[in-house]
Amino acid sequence: MSRKIGVVRFLGTNCDADVYRAVDSTNGLEAHWLWYEDHFNINDYDGLVLPGGFSYGDYLRSGALAAKTTVMDDVEAFAKQGGPVLGICNGFQVLTERGLLPGALVKNKELSFIDRWVTLKSESKNSLWSLNEKECRIPIAHGDGCFYVTNSELETLRSKDQVWLTYKDNPNGSVGDIAGVLNEDKNVAALMPHPERAMSTWMGSQHGKEFFEKLLVNKDI
Amino acid sequence: MESKNLVEKLKHYGLSKNEYDYALKLLKKENLTDIEWALFSSLWSEHCSYKSSKTFLRKLYNTSDRIVSEEGENAGVVDLGEGERIAFKMESHNHPSFIEPFQGAATGVGGILRDIFTMGARPIALANYLCFGESGSNRLSELVSGVVSGISFYGNCVGVPNVTGKTKFHSSYNKNNLVNAFALGYYGKEDKIISSKIKIPGNLLVYVGAKTGRDGVHGASMASESFDKDSESKRPTIQIGDPFYEKCLIESCLEVMKSGLVEAVQDMGAAGLTSSSFEMSYGGGLGLELDLSKVPLRDQTLTPEEILLSESQERMLLTCKAENLDKIEMVFKKWGLDAVCVGHVRKEPEILLLWKGDTLCKIDPNLIVGKAPEYNHEFETKMFIENDQVESSTDLLGYFHSVHGASKEWVYDQYDQRVGASTLLDCSEQIGAVVLPESKRSVGIALGCRQKLMSLNPFFGGADAFLHPALALSSKGYEPWAVTDCLNFGNPLRPEVMGDFASSLKGLSLACESFKSPIISGNVSLFNETEGENICPTPSVGVVGLNTQKVLDDYEPVRSSFQNVGSEVYLLSCRDFIWSGAFLENIQGSGDLEFKKVNEFSKILIEIARSKKSSLLSSRVVGSMGLMGSLFKMSSKNIGFDLDVEIDDERLFSESLYEVVLEFKNSPDLDIPEDFGFVYLGQTKEGGELKYSESIIDVERLKKESKDSWNKKVGV
Repeated sequence: MSRKIGVVRFLGTNCDADVYRAVDSTNGLEAHWLWYEDHFNINDYDGLVLPGGFSYGDYLRSGALAAKTTVMDDVEAFAKQGGPVLGICNGFQVLTERGLLPGALVKNKELSFIDRWVTLKSESKNSLWSLNEKECRIPIAHGDGCFYVTNSELETLRSKDQVWLTYKDNPNGSVGDIAGVLNEDKNVAALMPHPERAMSTWMGSQHGKEFFEKLLVNKDI
Repeated sequence: MESKNLVEKLKHYGLSKNEYDYALKLLKKENLTDIEWALFSSLWSEHCSYKSSKTFLRKLYNTSDRIVSEEGENAGVVDLGEGERIAFKMESHNHPSFIEPFQGAATGVGGILRDIFTMGARPIALANYLCFGESGSNRLSELVSGVVSGISFYGNCVGVPNVTGKTKFHSSYNKNNLVNAFALGYYGKEDKIISSKIKIPGNLLVYVGAKTGRDGVHGASMASESFDKDSESKRPTIQIGDPFYEKCLIESCLEVMKSGLVEAVQDMGAAGLTSSSFEMSYGGGLGLELDLSKVPLRDQTLTPEEILLSESQERMLLTCKAENLDKIEMVFKKWGLDAVCVGHVRKEPEILLLWKGDTLCKIDPNLIVGKAPEYNHEFETKMFIENDQVESSTDLLGYFHSVHGASKEWVYDQYDQRVGASTLLDCSEQIGAVVLPESKRSVGIALGCRQKLMSLNPFFGGADAFLHPALALSSKGYEPWAVTDCLNFGNPLRPEVMGDFASSLKGLSLACESFKSPIISGNVSLFNETEGENICPTPSVGVVGLNTQKVLDDYEPVRSSFQNVGSEVYLLSCRDFIWSGAFLENIQGSGDLEFKKVNEFSKILIEIARSKKSSLLSSRVVGSMGLMGSLFKMSSKNIGFDLDVEIDDERLFSESLYEVVLEFKNSPDLDIPEDFGFVYLGQTKEGGELKYSESIIDVERLKKESKDSWNKKVGV
């Protein structure tokens, strides 16, 4: 039986349909919409994805308004129960704003939006989100993608194997070149690049596929 | 006193004395009320009425079985077969972008997107054609960074990928920059084309989207004037955009359209509520009752005149059956937007404007829209001087260090080029392309119009504005399918400006006709004049092509730079007109242009690009700095090129109409008709070196310098 994956939509989310397609095209996964105003039964889902793209127009701070919505109460409960949650770009920002992931995402070092292909290095070794490939090529598209933590927090992240992905050539000034992080329990993961835009040769790379395939891995690992 | 008052009013509302007298005659009245002044001012502005250009626009080639939209809609729609259709259009936002670059450009994107989804099509691609003054001109860095960040702010947030564009520099834009925004929308098998024409009396008139504020009042008449020294004072006429609102508006509008809840939809663009209501009514031949006191306001002190003329963004008018109103309100509420009934459709073809229980105005829209003035301004066509000898610049380094040749990466890196996850070719390529959701075929988008060629010969320039992008599409396997134009010119009261207008449109139209590519939509922007200086004629053109190949997982599109080491490179040419190119002040040209032959050339290119046998890897239509310019652009730090044949400098650096560089994976076995040249140039090689005659160019170094010089020359 296919695993049921919830794709969360907030007002203004604009990568929702792309992520839905990416999930649904992965063998063994079945995508379902979750609307920001509605509760859902956390036991009905095997995984959740928070897509990217300007929820609430990035007003106040990117992800800040979405983090306070009804659906996020259940996302939090699902995450606390150990369910796998993947955040992409704005989804990453929402998860940090909700306190489900460490750190914060601030304006890119050069202050402007960047759309570019980047090379990512896989760092975390022992979680369900650890990638098979050492390096992968995936595009970024963000204005507030500079990951920030204090030096001591960075040390903690490293010592607890919570640094998931780093940039080979840091595009936005992120502390420790960090492109993606994990929570302490390693069930919640998020990255700034867009794996759903790297699903086939014609898109420029197929490295994005593995990120969705991780939702097939048993969550008890 | 009376006459002084009238002179001031005419100036304030941007009407001429003749137009005023004509309006009185139409209404059979002695004088106009404030509301009537406001209506005539906006609907008879150049921007809304096309009064100086209409006679020329009627002659443009636009007959084709492919066209499935009616005339007078917000954008044109063409059939692509297999149940799929696309709507597209390009529109200018020049005047606002010069006064306030960020908001001007942002709302330009917002406006063109609304033209597309108003018709029921989901926007899937954006593009833009930008023109700025020369390096060192006043405000250049402010204008460039303002416009680019405005487009980036709006397009990225609303979630439509920007897949291609052009950024041009020319001294004639020093005080009049151009921002032309292009948008393309998609209809799948089940999607209906939505009209703006009301057809059922008794239907309700519903206002949806953002609340009305004072922004943009008199915007349309502002955009129909030349600039003077205090154009700064026009800042309050600029609209403010909110892409988050627009995103919600797209989703809610498409939802009510797909559910069959609406009859007609019209966006509120230039001249806001006035033009949308009058166009809906005039188009459908029915009347409307519109109660202005029901319009949702941001500021309760707005007068009815201001409500009519406000250009607040992200608003639409729609009509629906009374029983559907509740359902429509629910959909909009779900997306956080207002939907308010503000009136209804009347059987009598009259518009009734109400304000707090009083009738403000009762007027037949035909008197304002249908009977709008139309001018045949004098025009004077320029003679083309043919040169025996065409000299070209050979300063390759100088060119790539100039603003013209500098890498535009700084611009397009700021645009989200991949949202939608269907981008096949992005801004780094010569054309943009997106995959069609249902059939998995793809459409390509390319923009054209080259200033220097335009100033040499407006007829050829107009033709080239279509032909150059059409060939760029063909060389990637896309058949030029249909065209949109955005005609930016100076003051139409100047005979030489109208002469250029007439000549370039003739060139454009004949070229499109020879390709059977109809011009399905467009926009005219006149009065691009500041303190007596007019812009170079700029009929920018968007060409959309169709590639019937299916884009499956392992599909490899034809790209614009060298892909493999050791592949064979050829030059295919149809070189009948030669000109000195974009980098010389003194432009010269020689030869002729035969449209039929160029069309044949296009067909050969399409065949080559789609053929599996020859396996074309990359292609590039030769442009600035001729063949050498193109070979440099195709080289990279990993793949270089040795020019293997003797070619003299004149041939290497001059530009022509037209030739294309082709990189083949395998030795091509092609049967090219004798009319066209097909010569072997050499092989691609490992490492970033470009070698010709006695010269060697370090590709990576020059590319880096070219990128750095953008920042130096533009000052961003």
